[in-house]
Amino acid sequence: MLCYYDIQIVRRNLASYVDIIWIYCPALLLSFSLVLFKQTKLGPKSGPTEKGLSSFCVHIVSLLVRGLSSLSDVASGLKYLQGKRQNKPEMCCVHNVQVNRTGYVELTIFPTVVNLNRIKLNSKQCRIYRVRVNELEAPFIYNDPTLEVCHHESKQRNLNYFSSAYTAAVSAVDPDAGHGELVIKVPPELWKQGDDLKVLKVYIEFSLDQPKGGLHFVVPDVEGSMAERGAHVFSFGYQNSTRFWFPCVDSYSELCTWKLEFTVDASMVAVSCGDLVETIYTHDMRKKTYHYVLPIPTAAPNISLAVGPFEILVDPYMHEVTHFCLPQLLPLLKHSMSYLHEIFEFYEEILTCRYPYSCFKTVFVDEAYVQLSSYASMSIFSTNLLHSATIIDQTPLTRRCLAQALAQQFFDLKQADEWVLKGISGYIYGLYLKKTFGVNEYRHWIKEELDKIVEYELKMGGVLLHPTFTGGKEKDNPTPHLHFSIKHPHTLSWEYFKMFQCKAHLVMRLIENRISMEFMLQVFNKLLSLASTASSQKYQSHMWSQMLLSTHAFLKSISNVSGKDIGPLIKQWVDQSSVVKFFGSFAFNRKRNVLELEIRQDYTSSGTQKYVGPIKVTVQELDGSFNHTLQIEENSLKHDIPCHSKSRRNKKKKIPLMNGEEVDMDLSAMDADSPLLWIRIDPDMSILRKVEFEQADFMWQYQLRYERDVVAQEEAISALEKFPTPASRLALTDILEQEQCFYKVRMQACFCLAKIANSMVSTWQGPPAMKSLFTRMFCCKSCPNIVKTNNFISFQSYFLQKTMPVAMALLRDVHNLCPKDVLNFILDLIKYNDNRKNKFSDNYYRADLIEALTNSLTPAISISNEVRTVDNLNADVRLILEEITRFLNMEKLLPSFRNTITVRCLSAIRQLQRNGHIPSDASLFKSYAEYGHFVDVRVAALEALVDYTRVERSSAELQWLLNMVQNDPAHYVRHKILGMLSKNPPFTKTTDSALCNEALVDQLWKLMNSGTSHDWRLRCDAVNLYYTLFGLTRPSCLPLPELGLVLNLKEKKAVLNPTIKPELEVGPVVDTPASIGIHGVGMCYAFNTMEDEDIDMETVHDSQAFIHQHLHLLERPSTPGTHTHTSACMHARTHAHHLVTHTPVLFVLLGKEPPSVEQSLLSMPATPVPSFSKETSSLASKHAGEHGHHHHHHHHEHKKKKKKHKHKHKHKHKHESKDKEKDRERDNSHAYSNSPASGRSLRSPSMSD
Amino acid sequence: IGDPSLLRSLNGNTVLISGKAATSPAENYHLARRRTLQVVVSALLTECGFESAEKAAVETLTEMMQSYITEIGRCAKAYCEHTARSVPTLADTVVTLIEMGFNADTLPVYAKRSQRMVITAPPVTNAPVTPKALSAGQKRTHPAYIPSHFPEFPDPHTYIKTPTFREPVSDYQVVREKAASQKRDVERALTRFMAKTGETQSLFKDDITAFPLIAAQPSSIPYLSALLPSELELQTLEETDSSEQDDQTDSENAAGNLINDDPGGDKENSMLPPSGVPSAKASEENVIDNPYLRPVKKPKVRRKK
Repeated sequence: MLCYYDIQIVRRNLASYVDIIWIYCPALLLSFSLVLFKQTKLGPKSGPTEKGLSSFCVHIVSLLVRGLSSLSDVASGLKYLQGKRQNKPEMCCVHNVQVNRTGYVELTIFPTVVNLNRIKLNSKQCRIYRVRVNELEAPFIYNDPTLEVCHHESKQRNLNYFSSAYTAAVSAVDPDAGHGELVIKVPPELWKQGDDLKVLKVYIEFSLDQPKGGLHFVVPDVEGSMAERGAHVFSFGYQNSTRFWFPCVDSYSELCTWKLEFTVDASMVAVSCGDLVETIYTHDMRKKTYHYVLPIPTAAPNISLAVGPFEILVDPYMHEVTHFCLPQLLPLLKHSMSYLHEIFEFYEEILTCRYPYSCFKTVFVDEAYVQLSSYASMSIFSTNLLHSATIIDQTPLTRRCLAQALAQQFFDLKQADEWVLKGISGYIYGLYLKKTFGVNEYRHWIKEELDKIVEYELKMGGVLLHPTFTGGKEKDNPTPHLHFSIKHPHTLSWEYFKMFQCKAHLVMRLIENRISMEFMLQVFNKLLSLASTASSQKYQSHMWSQMLLSTHAFLKSISNVSGKDIGPLIKQWVDQSSVVKFFGSFAFNRKRNVLELEIRQDYTSSGTQKYVGPIKVTVQELDGSFNHTLQIEENSLKHDIPCHSKSRRNKKKKIPLMNGEEVDMDLSAMDADSPLLWIRIDPDMSILRKVEFEQADFMWQYQLRYERDVVAQEEAISALEKFPTPASRLALTDILEQEQCFYKVRMQACFCLAKIANSMVSTWQGPPAMKSLFTRMFCCKSCPNIVKTNNFISFQSYFLQKTMPVAMALLRDVHNLCPKDVLNFILDLIKYNDNRKNKFSDNYYRADLIEALTNSLTPAISISNEVRTVDNLNADVRLILEEITRFLNMEKLLPSFRNTITVRCLSAIRQLQRNGHIPSDASLFKSYAEYGHFVDVRVAALEALVDYTRVERSSAELQWLLNMVQNDPAHYVRHKILGMLSKNPPFTKTTDSALCNEALVDQLWKLMNSGTSHDWRLRCDAVNLYYTLFGLTRPSCLPLPELGLVLNLKEKKAVLNPTIKPELEVGPVVDTPASIGIHGVGMCYAFNTMEDEDIDMETVHDSQAFIHQHLHLLERPSTPGTHTHTSACMHARTHAHHLVTHTPVLFVLLGKEPPSVEQSLLSMPATPVPSFSKETSSLASKHAGEHGHHHHHHHHEHKKKKKKHKHKHKHKHKHESKDKEKDRERDNSHAYSNSPASGRSLRSPSMSD
Repeated sequence: IGDPSLLRSLNGNTVLISGKAATSPAENYHLARRRTLQVVVSALLTECGFESAEKAAVETLTEMMQSYITEIGRCAKAYCEHTARSVPTLADTVVTLIEMGFNADTLPVYAKRSQRMVITAPPVTNAPVTPKALSAGQKRTHPAYIPSHFPEFPDPHTYIKTPTFREPVSDYQVVREKAASQKRDVERALTRFMAKTGETQSLFKDDITAFPLIAAQPSSIPYLSALLPSELELQTLEETDSSEQDDQTDSENAAGNLINDDPGGDKENSMLPPSGVPSAKASEENVIDNPYLRPVKKPKVRRKK
């Protein structure tokens, strides 16, 4: 496959930049040329692990990016230059590469810059061959601090330390702060030109071989050409990740226009952002080039690419919309996309604004990173969203995904303050839900989302929508409760990110509640039209700032349109994290005819905040429903609400409801003295809250029966679980039978009924709960034990039919077993299931029947240590197993949609194992978890494995899972494994386990430190898991520092006496600590090791001052190129060396592990262990806090010196081949040193001096 | 050959034509007749001075003669029935011959011609036995007002009903039961077979043959089998759809569904609007201006480097 890109970029100045630069920077021309090459001949580097890639011939020949940009230099003193010079005059060009058949990507940039001598770009994984500015070779530095977060061995393994180091590393290359991995030095000849505001062109040649992130290659291992095999590639990433596949300014706030060219095999289609201008064959007619132009200023993270042998479907309603899917799936695509135009129409109508781009493309790919990802004018979806007309359950899900993707197309792509955009797109998506799926569905969804965010915040602490980082100091951290930083999207855990999105749209809804929907839509319309006006302005890049949506602009727009001040609301929910927790109770005062309501708050526990302001309370009385708005104030708990009704229960009169309906009620259950039927607190969910309200059971029952709001009904159902009485039973049964009731409420009622039945087991009368109901609704009239042949025309009853058996299976008799007749009933349902006359597939129904079987399982009565054999299998279990085996085997012959049956069978088998009916064994799940099964099946198998690992405490399985995390081709699966391990951890920080050992700590540490550098999300997942397993501080399984400490200079830390810890690596363990002379020697060694692992200057982030100084040295060379650099570096090195020789002890004091060293130096006499560890952590955090800011002067200075030391040692290292050899050996033992990223950087041509 | 024999042979031929359900002896009978006819034709040919004839020619002449004789027989029978008799008389035959344009007067002369050859009578074969009609049930006796000489009533099953002796299974429960167990048996047998012939996985270590699971085989394109409905499913779906018309009379929204989910529509152009637009749209397909449908251009000489 050959890709040829020509990207035209017009970049805008960063708002955060100083105004002066801003004015002096006109639009710049920035253009790239990228060429991707496929490796037809497998190089020795492409190991067997990279199976997909090595066999996929990726020829990326040349990629050109051209554009206009106002790339500006941050002229502050934060620039740095590290002595790795990369430009070689005889650098291979395109033709050489073609001849050599090595895979590479090439990128050319032509920028114009003003007063700019350094250009910083983002680039990861790319190997840069040469950079030219205006045809002049330009020196450049490539340094990626996130490759390895902590550079030296830290036996402390402190997550606090890691998180701050990681945040600092991300900050160090943060494009929004003007940083980047790639620093290009503008040749001095051009400085003059730059000062004259003339155009500079930057041209970057780069290659990208076997990328582990950014681009994903799916290459099925079958016969045939790439097109026949359905091989495809697409870009992906968590937040801004475009830097993974070409050098760019990887920021949402840097907008530019684009021209893209992709040369691909003639059988392939390249889909990218913008308008396809033309497609042209290459000269040999075997490839073709796609030319795209994106005239609307767009940020680099919104650029994407998908290449594959796609089938093309032009939307029959909107010819500007084109859909792409993998071969053979066209019929599914046609069906799945048949209603997309309705979503389009809906959004355009409510926003009274046209879709911002001139075309739209949807691409469905396999092994997608996320279900849907939106980019400028295109969206990439998972192919698993496609479905045929026979599938019921997937249809609403797919439609929701499409609606979400489209909502993001309107709003999500112009990023400034993330919460605003996520909020708006989530909000208009909600409006679509309301219109398409109805108000019930919408309110149900809002409640679901609210419950989710409340649960998360109460558990994990607050979610902050709009954090402000004032000083950036540790104590100013707005979210100290989290184990990761929320400063950068790349450090956010996935869960948090999802909750963030969820909260954002809920807050948007709160704003709507305040200012009305009409105004809300007006605001959106205004924002959109401003943006579109701005985008049509050519080259006046300052206009483009209008396209970026900040909180401030949004709020201003709201106050302009509505004239309302929503400041308090924003302050409460946007600037502060956490939710509100209410406890409500009431008493009725008969004398005064007053309802005395008490509302208390819990604002002390984690994730809660105090709420002051209005709250709505709805009281349903005999005379009708009344809304009251109460003020929650600081100290008032009690609120008196006058009642309207006189107690006049004797009159037979209909009772008016909130919606005007009048109903007859049987009032015999209620309290004779009070006219209150039920009370609801905050019925509109206009506060992000959890309400625990106490009212009598009959009131809940009335609420369930007669309140028409689905949220109230659902609340009543969950409250009734606590009241297992015949009256509750009756209320639930009535709801179940009521056809008008929302089906999800009825489904919930099923489960509640099962719980109530179990609580009432000794007094339960009649057949098992729901059985007669099910019989009446779904079984034949003539023979009630046989279910009707399936007819799923009515979806409501379909969902009920699916749910009831699942809930019924949860019933238990007095022996805590599933009643025999329930089990037989379910078995009969399976037996008589007949779908021949049905126009819909019954795969989800059958899957639910399997789930019902699973639910009916109870733990086996085990006689001590008895081995589970076929012979002693329980008779019921035998029947169940029989069914499951048959289902699973049939699935091999007639696979169901998305293999739903297999998925449930696997979890059923795991359930049988866990309950001790069959021997616990992981091999079956392992085979299903292998790459090559459908992803749902894999995830189900992995879930079983994770459970197995926890129950059996199996370290082999844990290793197997972690291996998969490192090696599996599908990113989604890797992410999923870590997520499941965190959710169902084999052990936690509070429990002891044999699994928790040092090797595991090391392994996980390496995984998050360097093993996941190609995928932000995965790294955050690993951090999450580490947190779950070990907590924030030093994992307990690591040996405690004790007496008899020795100083290991190689590890730069004090360790236990080697006799206590024999597994320590060999190294110059100095037995006599604090000997200055030996320190010197040891240091030398240590640095070599370190430098070898880490290609460039380590920890850029914590050495800004040093960098500054270095740059200062480099700043004024009179000649460009090699000499300058070498001499400058030499200079620095000498200087450093000088320092080293004179101040060795100083260095030791400032080593990466100051506490340990200090220990070695200071605590020669026995120090009590506890006090020491305390000191350790406090020092560590102090140290970590320093990274971005140097408030302690002497620390600052120490750092400088330390850096120079390193430099000196590196220098030495270069000449000491002996040491190098040793280091190589060490490298091999290091799990991640061979990762392509670090390995390549080490050996890349640009690095070789 | 006298007239009666001729007539007899005519009758025989009638039987030959109409009585297709000839058993083996009956067939022999007819074959013998036919052979005689062939001999007759040959004799006539010899009479006319032919020395030899191709088999096909003889066969054709035989065929012609047979159909001529048959026609005479048919007509004679018609005449006789026309006059309410059941057996044709000589007069019937004569009228027939005249009707067919044959001068009947020449017949006696021709029959007594000198050079005629004498043909041996066909071998005596048993006339075919008409199989006895299936008698089912009790034949009704004549009611009092019908004289006894009238023919008997035919079997009641020919005009009242046919009694069968096993009740067809119409009980819904049994049908469902049977369908379910049949399906289950087939499935079980099939999966057992697959499990026996291929690799398996087992849930138990002590007895690996109990509950055999067909081993999981990774496929190279797993999403295809998971997303595309299997052929069997498609097939049953089509069957269902065709039979849906009568099935769905009870559901009120069936009509609407039927239009939208017409099987043909599902496959070909389900996304097209139900109005008349689709066909127009489809023909306009090439008119749609979508950049992805445009042909790929030939390369220009200019080359970007």
